[in-house]
Amino acid sequence: MSDTASASHDEHHNLIVDNKKLLMWLFLGSDCMFFGTLISTHLIYRKLYPEAYDPLTVFSLELTSFSTFILLMSSFLMALAVSAMHKGQIKSFRRNVIGVIFFGLIFLACQVYEFAHFVHEGLTLSTTTFGSTFFVMTGTHGVHVAIGIFWLICMYFYSHTGKMDVHESAVDVEVAGLYWHFVDIVWIIIFTAVYLIEYI
Amino acid sequence: MLLIHERNGRYTCQRGLLAVFVYVFVSTRVLNYLKFRLHIFHVKQFFHGYFRIHILFTSLLGLLLLSGCNLNSRMSTFKARGPVAEAQLDLFYITLWVVVGLFIAVGGVLLIAVIKFREKKGDTSPLPSHGHGNPLVEIGLIGGSVLLLVVIAVPTLRAIWFTHDLPIQPESELKAWYPGDDVAEGEESNILTVNVIGYQWWWAFEYPQLGITTANELIIPAGKAVKLNLRSVDVIHSFWLPQIAGKVDLIPGRANYMWIQAGDTFEKWAEKNVPEGSEAGQKLAYENYLEDEIHDYYYGQCAEFCGESHARMLFRASVVGDDEFGAWVSDIKTGNQAPEGMSWKDWYANYDKSPEVLTGDVHEGLKLFMGRAKCATCHAVNGNPRALGVAGPNLTHLARRYSLAAGWLNHRTEDGAVDIEQQYKNFVKWIDKTEEVKPGNLMWKANGGGIGELIDAEGELSLLTEEEVHKISIYLQTLK
Amino acid sequence: MSSTITETHTTIEHGQPHVLKPERSNLGLMRPDHSKSVIVDWLTTVDHKKIGIMYGALALFFFIVGGIEALIIRAQLFVPENTLISAQTYNQMFTMHGTTMIFLAVMPLSSAFFNFLVPLQIGARDVAFPRLNTFSLWTFVAGAIILNVSWLFQAAHALGWFTPGGSAAGMTDMVPAGGWFGYAPLNAAEFTGIGTDFWVLGLQVLGVASLAASMNFIVTIINMRAPGMKMMRMPVFTWMTLITSFLIIFAFPAITIALAELMFDRNFGTNFFRVSEGGQPILWQHLFWVFGHPEVYILILPAMGIVSEILPAFSKKPLFGYSIVVFSGAVIGFLGFAVWSHHMFTTGLGKVATAAFSLLTMAIAVPTGVKIFNWIGTLWGGRVRFTAPMIFSLGFVWMFMMGGFSGIMHSSAPADAQQQDSYFVIAHFHYVLIGGSVLALIAGIYFWLPKVFGKMWVGKLNNWVALVIVIGLNVTFFPMHFLGLIGMPRRTHTYLSGFGWDTYNMICTIGAFTLAFGILLFLIDIYRCVKKGEPAGNDPWDARTLEWQTSSPVKVYNFAKTPIITARDALWEHKYGAENRKITYEKEDGHGIHMPSQSWFPLIASSGFIFVGIGMTMRHAGVAYMGYVAIFGLLVLGLGIALWALEGPGGYHLHPKEDAES
Repeated sequence: MSDTASASHDEHHNLIVDNKKLLMWLFLGSDCMFFGTLISTHLIYRKLYPEAYDPLTVFSLELTSFSTFILLMSSFLMALAVSAMHKGQIKSFRRNVIGVIFFGLIFLACQVYEFAHFVHEGLTLSTTTFGSTFFVMTGTHGVHVAIGIFWLICMYFYSHTGKMDVHESAVDVEVAGLYWHFVDIVWIIIFTAVYLIEYI
Repeated sequence: MLLIHERNGRYTCQRGLLAVFVYVFVSTRVLNYLKFRLHIFHVKQFFHGYFRIHILFTSLLGLLLLSGCNLNSRMSTFKARGPVAEAQLDLFYITLWVVVGLFIAVGGVLLIAVIKFREKKGDTSPLPSHGHGNPLVEIGLIGGSVLLLVVIAVPTLRAIWFTHDLPIQPESELKAWYPGDDVAEGEESNILTVNVIGYQWWWAFEYPQLGITTANELIIPAGKAVKLNLRSVDVIHSFWLPQIAGKVDLIPGRANYMWIQAGDTFEKWAEKNVPEGSEAGQKLAYENYLEDEIHDYYYGQCAEFCGESHARMLFRASVVGDDEFGAWVSDIKTGNQAPEGMSWKDWYANYDKSPEVLTGDVHEGLKLFMGRAKCATCHAVNGNPRALGVAGPNLTHLARRYSLAAGWLNHRTEDGAVDIEQQYKNFVKWIDKTEEVKPGNLMWKANGGGIGELIDAEGELSLLTEEEVHKISIYLQTLK
Repeated sequence: MSSTITETHTTIEHGQPHVLKPERSNLGLMRPDHSKSVIVDWLTTVDHKKIGIMYGALALFFFIVGGIEALIIRAQLFVPENTLISAQTYNQMFTMHGTTMIFLAVMPLSSAFFNFLVPLQIGARDVAFPRLNTFSLWTFVAGAIILNVSWLFQAAHALGWFTPGGSAAGMTDMVPAGGWFGYAPLNAAEFTGIGTDFWVLGLQVLGVASLAASMNFIVTIINMRAPGMKMMRMPVFTWMTLITSFLIIFAFPAITIALAELMFDRNFGTNFFRVSEGGQPILWQHLFWVFGHPEVYILILPAMGIVSEILPAFSKKPLFGYSIVVFSGAVIGFLGFAVWSHHMFTTGLGKVATAAFSLLTMAIAVPTGVKIFNWIGTLWGGRVRFTAPMIFSLGFVWMFMMGGFSGIMHSSAPADAQQQDSYFVIAHFHYVLIGGSVLALIAGIYFWLPKVFGKMWVGKLNNWVALVIVIGLNVTFFPMHFLGLIGMPRRTHTYLSGFGWDTYNMICTIGAFTLAFGILLFLIDIYRCVKKGEPAGNDPWDARTLEWQTSSPVKVYNFAKTPIITARDALWEHKYGAENRKITYEKEDGHGIHMPSQSWFPLIASSGFIFVGIGMTMRHAGVAYMGYVAIFGLLVLGLGIALWALEGPGGYHLHPKEDAES
């Protein structure tokens, strides 16, 4: 967010990792604990009460696999965007960021559709412990995705103002990339531990 | 152990404190006199440092003497009267001696360091050497600490297993000691099991094997292991009967249990006391031990914050002999009669058709109990076919209990009898001022069902009058 | 989003900052730099020193609030069956006392030290993210407001002006009353009213503040050290700050989730802890204590860091076994995550879990003991000066030791079965918290206040402060060991006579008021220092670490020239060490000292939290449209952050006089 006192002037400061990047890594470390707790809670309750709810009656593996694939592709595009920024190719960067935003929105749309379908079928926040843990966990993830999309939209528009210095902003884009990849990885874990595991 | 004065605790405590003050006063005067009056200036340094230590020492002594204040009170863990509490107390002492030793050792070194190396005025010697550490010392100290922890750890592990696992004791099985013949099918080889159910803010004690239920005052036999299943209907409570066992929580939705035992088994007792004489003589001595030291009225309390009246959720346990226990169980089953020896059938015949026939405080009280005051909606009284409420404590033989409102209002005399006068006062207070005795409780206010919400025909608030409270109290006192 | 190329400013030569004019940010708005208004200056400051002072002042204020709550508790318990306050009010008192002392007093006071000292100790000009630092401060204020505004609602209710409806209808508790660890299911909407909502949201917001600050400090310590300030040359206090910050970022998520799950249970019908639908109340305990146990190390490690600075300074000897002290701090932090269930020994965990946690808890005594040995080793062979900071540090070592010992007694689960939830536990944690954390923090204040305000302490009142506090502490809490062992449970509004508890309680109450008097003397001492103290000079204590080289009070830019460090205990070596261990300075590059610009946006963003907290709580109480108020609060937060990002860091340059070394 803000630059440091003299990070850019001073080569003596041992910046092992750039300040902003380090901050993001720390935040992601904390977020790991965050999601870890949510996912563990879900798994614990599944183990305690396997018969509380049968999610296979509402899960659609096709839809969720599709949205997972979309999110993975968005991560790929994000990596391309970061790389573009490193090389100073603003146009390529913009194209890729639009791609990420677009794919992210598709993912969110799939989530919304899926949740609406679940609620229609009777699986709500209040449905035993399953509904509670499922929706809070995936909902938290969805909010993370939404915040990421908002961030990228801001970044996209900012890139048009001409104030984005390619070298300085490479770090910012990288930081956004880190966040986006993290959100993607969390989804992979959720997809495995919450959806796929039910099919075993 | 350790300065426990078993005599009148408070008296000893006050004397102890007085002794400390006198000692401090006298000694400071003496030291002052030595210092100034006798002009022993050249040992000013001596006094200065030691004066401070002296204050420290006397205050520590004062604190220690405080321990002379009654440690033998009703819920004192120092008076362990059962194997579980004993195991836990033993561990307490092990940890206590370890830490006291550590305190003296480490505290002593700290004190010496601070005195020996204090800066002296006008000291022009060079600065102390830059000692950066000494790995050998570190490792030695770490090793020593680990050793002390092992000293604590080994008995800890043993005691965890001991206090957790149900003991295998043939003499505790129901068939071995229970005098009645009404044990549930298939339960004769099990130990007595009590379901302890926590409510905000009272205790239900169910005996499923014997088909009875009571509340707030637990009755258990001496010298036998008892299993307690701990359940809660609302929030977390904790069952703490300190002289018998450490606490275990009652967590809703969780099947916690514990085993307790008041007094040792014959075998354990014999091990400790090594009695002589014939087997029959030994058994007699054992029975005497149980009667003298274990049969008693024990005090317990809820030990997990459970809401507004957590402080007033006490309970009691009466530890009795096998026969007394059997008699109590059959008494509970029989329940209470209708007043004046009537049968319940007759009483209700009158109550339904011509209640005005039933006169006198006792009958009036019972009529209120069943009628306007709606007691029977929540309370059961065995024998009474229309008092079947389960929302509140079971009131069978209520008047035999030594306390009301979950141990909060007490009427037990020194020699273990019911203080009738005090009991009456307690009944009145409990019914009349329920909310004051136990703020937030459901007997007073329960969405229209409490006695603090009674209304008359016009829907106006119409609480029980003094007369009515009196009559109900008189009736309840007949529930012996 | 950010860039440094926009900060081309006019700067005046030779350090006359009052001539500097504020400039426009990237958003086109005026930055609040160089404001003539003191209030604007302090509200928008990004200076770690000012932030530290604000944390400290607020912490002391809430320490008094929490202390009053404690005195009310003790007054109520003076005699059996006392009716000074109602049961509900009592439950609110002990809940708020615990919550206030932990989250609003000790943690922010530690934060005050982190903020003020860490950049100075590592030779930096400020923290890595100054505006984020400001955000942490104001978010903390928001959390404090959410928690304490509940008192106003309770008063309003008492006066008949406010009656909760909605899901909280019929509940009369507006102030948190579930204990500072608010166990489920008592914390459910069925059992407690909006008090619990204030508690949940207040703590949640406070968590955000702590997390942001911790991340900031880790980046600062890892990245912003002066040249030559290797990790193993850093002062121990900075190390403890680093470890504490890691503890925070890994421990707080557990309580964040627990609180979020509870909030959902109370407001959106989920079943995380609802027994009837399969929820497990014990999940709350696990989540809470996974946070709660590291939290107590968060409370004590900074204190240990402070003492590790003071003892060497006044023994005129380096810390004995520096590496081991640092390492044991890290071990304590690490093991602190492995022992949480020792708070749950009575919940029926089962033999294996109970045994495991029992043994691990014993193990954690080892690194703690190591620190104590090393502190004594520091004193040994030194030249001990009984200054105010030293007296309190020695008191810390002694009292913390006693608290640690009762902790060892707890570690044995069977013994703990009797001690848990009784006054024995209360004795234990007050010894480690007051005898430990508070004494060390007071020592720190005695040590560093001359640096903060440039004034020296007046007279020898500190001796009385120490004496009265130590006596008060012991008279209040030592008898509680016995009280617990003779069966008095904790969190009890009152007790019956005849259990042997009467005299002990009386003594404890007298002790509490004595302790309060000692704190009062301390506040008087602070006042006298700030008002009438003699100028302190740079290094009034002849200390060892880098911050003492700066002026007192410290200049806004900390160091005129970046120092180059060559040894541990940098200042000591500079003063008394060999030639090659002196501090040298970087050459100036002519640009002057770059200072970060001040900003309104952290304050604005934080204020959003207040709307969220009160909005969600009032929504639970059935007040119309309050959900929208909460959403509005989130929007304020989001917008504040977005604008904060877009305004750019700005900055301006200062050129201090050449001859000033600091």
